[in-house]
Amino acid sequence: MKKDIAIAGVGGQGNLFATNVLCQYAMARGMQVLGTETIGAAQRGGSVISHMRIADHPIYSPLIPQGGADVLLGMETLEMLRHLGLLNPQGFYIMNLYSVPTVYTNLGIDRYPSQEEIVAAARKVCPRGVEIPATYKAAELGSAQMTNVVMLGALCQLDEYFDGPEVEGLVERLSPESFKDKNLAGFRAGRELARAGDRA
Amino acid sequence: MGDLAITRGAVESGVKVAAGYPGTPATEILEGFVDYDQVHAEWSCNEKVALEVALGASLAGVRSMAVMKHNGTNVSTDIIMHLNFTGIKAGLVLISADDPGGLSSQNEEDSRILVHTYANLPVFDPSSAVEAKAMVKEAYRLSEETQLCFVLRPVMRVCHSRSVIDYEDLDQSLFKEAGWEDDRDRYIMSAVEVRELGGIKRPQARHRWLNAKYQELTELFEKSPFNWIEGGEGELGLIGCGIGYTYLKEAGLNFSRGYPILKLGTLPLPRRMVLDFLKGKKKVLVFEELEPVVENLIKQLALDNGLKLQVLGRSGFYSPDGELTVPLVTQAVRKLDPGLSLKKEFSPPKLDLQIPVRTRTQCVGCAHRALLYSLKRVARKKKAVVFGDIGCHDAGSFKPMELQSTIYCMGSSVPMATGAHFAGLQRPVISMMGDSTLFHLGLNGLVNAAYQKSNQVIVLGDNRTTAMTGFQPHAGSGVDIRGAESPRVDLEMLGRSLGIKVHSVDPYDLQGSYEVLLQAVEEEGVSLVIASKACFLQGSRQGEKFFEPTKLKVDQELCQGCMICINDFGCPALVYSTETEKVHIDELTCVQCGLCAEVCKLGAIS
Repeated sequence: MKKDIAIAGVGGQGNLFATNVLCQYAMARGMQVLGTETIGAAQRGGSVISHMRIADHPIYSPLIPQGGADVLLGMETLEMLRHLGLLNPQGFYIMNLYSVPTVYTNLGIDRYPSQEEIVAAARKVCPRGVEIPATYKAAELGSAQMTNVVMLGALCQLDEYFDGPEVEGLVERLSPESFKDKNLAGFRAGRELARAGDRA
Repeated sequence: MGDLAITRGAVESGVKVAAGYPGTPATEILEGFVDYDQVHAEWSCNEKVALEVALGASLAGVRSMAVMKHNGTNVSTDIIMHLNFTGIKAGLVLISADDPGGLSSQNEEDSRILVHTYANLPVFDPSSAVEAKAMVKEAYRLSEETQLCFVLRPVMRVCHSRSVIDYEDLDQSLFKEAGWEDDRDRYIMSAVEVRELGGIKRPQARHRWLNAKYQELTELFEKSPFNWIEGGEGELGLIGCGIGYTYLKEAGLNFSRGYPILKLGTLPLPRRMVLDFLKGKKKVLVFEELEPVVENLIKQLALDNGLKLQVLGRSGFYSPDGELTVPLVTQAVRKLDPGLSLKKEFSPPKLDLQIPVRTRTQCVGCAHRALLYSLKRVARKKKAVVFGDIGCHDAGSFKPMELQSTIYCMGSSVPMATGAHFAGLQRPVISMMGDSTLFHLGLNGLVNAAYQKSNQVIVLGDNRTTAMTGFQPHAGSGVDIRGAESPRVDLEMLGRSLGIKVHSVDPYDLQGSYEVLLQAVEEEGVSLVIASKACFLQGSRQGEKFFEPTKLKVDQELCQGCMICINDFGCPALVYSTETEKVHIDELTCVQCGLCAEVCKLGAIS
């Protein structure tokens, strides 16, 4: 058994909480966990990619091989497109319908592809996937910072390896007291969005 | 995290003093020591200072660690080239983290060349976080056995890897009490005659000692748990060094056949083991980060032993720059063995879309952006050249702002501006530096500019922290690594003590900052402009209030799409729409600082 999850986003979107929850979940099952992320200079609005690998056998490289990701979480549309090559066509993706322009697209030097183009590209690579407005939902529930919890909820809805109620318990346990209720609401909203959007 | 595995390895080894300077990917190693009360942990002013602090502790009989990234190891070169000759007393391990691919660095380099090829120190190159921890513990044991400073060279993928790490109980007997014993034959590095060696000078005597140690290490590493051979038949052999080994193993999962593998984790190399491996091979291929260090050592070994085989690797067989990856390893092995078939072929999807690059910038709300905006107005008006330095403000040199004309290494901005001035440049010279960089190596340039009677403006973007690496405090923060109160350098007083003109501005006051900067450029001599404002990201997380939130909108009637707000200010919340050819504010990104309203000359933002 193995589960490779790639999370692509923009610096500051805070993938750390979601990664931590998934790590705890896998470790509680006695799984091997290995992963890596770009942090540091990349965190000031740059492109950020986290690799998370879970397996019941030894894992060597912290980087997911091209075409090896069972799940690609696109926290931002362009960053999802950038890392589509990681996605296994038999896996699935969750794309947050939220776009952050780049300096070059803002200056008109580069063109930011439309969300329709990005969705079409993603579907060409991998037939299964959902597009959800996670950031807008998070903002509606209190803070755009909760995007990662909404995405986590969507992941648990679509992937039966992750037991929804159990992960929800982890979200509750690992959230700081002041964010607990909001995070739980975000998690449930993510599940609901994914349930509605899943074409499979 | 790999970094924390290294910390834990050090604490389990009884380390009592740990010093470093922040630098991705090594930062979290030192931060990890804060969890252990028995350790004196410090963010030193720079890496050379950190290594000297660690050396002092070692000579006082206490195990110590110095933590830095490759650029910092460069800064430490002088002390490295002395402590290699003297040796150490209590175990001393230097962490020199490399960043192949330059994902979070100004350059990419292989610090094994400095610490091993140049300084002849023993180096461990970990393949994983788990091995890194084991290597740290072994390094302390061997450091005392051999009297040498050991170096651990983890790459970013080891530092920032996440995996399950076993913690062992702490053995309190390892935390030794300090004591001093003079050993002038070793600790006095000076050109003095050594009577016992017929009057040769001490540097030569200690060099002789180090060379003898090198032979001893070669022998020692034959039995090291970090080097091994994995079976397999054939005339082609694969060699994986450090993280290169893990990529090789990962790629191998997809190979239809196996190869003999030599896994290497030490320098110097275990020569007999390597020679055993080379026996009967026609070609071997070495995977290492980042330069052909091991490859060249093996070539030399083969030559010395009259072996006829090809040793291939970073020197040209595959990419001599950038990070190793599984596809790169796969491709190189296929080139070595064209008969190799893969269990699963994967070709990356062909997209008809161009994917725009994403460069970083300052955060929304950052005071640096405000300061850079005012500085750009002045630089443009006075046709000044701006020399940049390391820190979050360096992104002012990228598009769209393109203000600073140079970015080199820590503290280089001020001396370079001095040089340009004395070269006779008929334009004003300005340098832009951050506070942490000032205390690192910037101070020397500042003192020099004052002493040389230069004519230049030095702009200090003082956000009271080392922001770019994640808010590490420094001598201007007023707190130490544990958050306890510490003396704080008074920047204005410091500037005045140098006999230069000193101004202070509030960077959020755009017009006020502009006027002071303009005045400074018009002044004769050296002027220091201090723009103090806490890092917005850090401060707002701690509940600090920076401004009255002002909800702004761009009036779509008034906006003419002139792009001044994007070109000169460049806040990520300002978005240009190609459809409307106008700018709007992304409400989810905006922190309502209100500054862009001042930037728009048409009054379209209000």
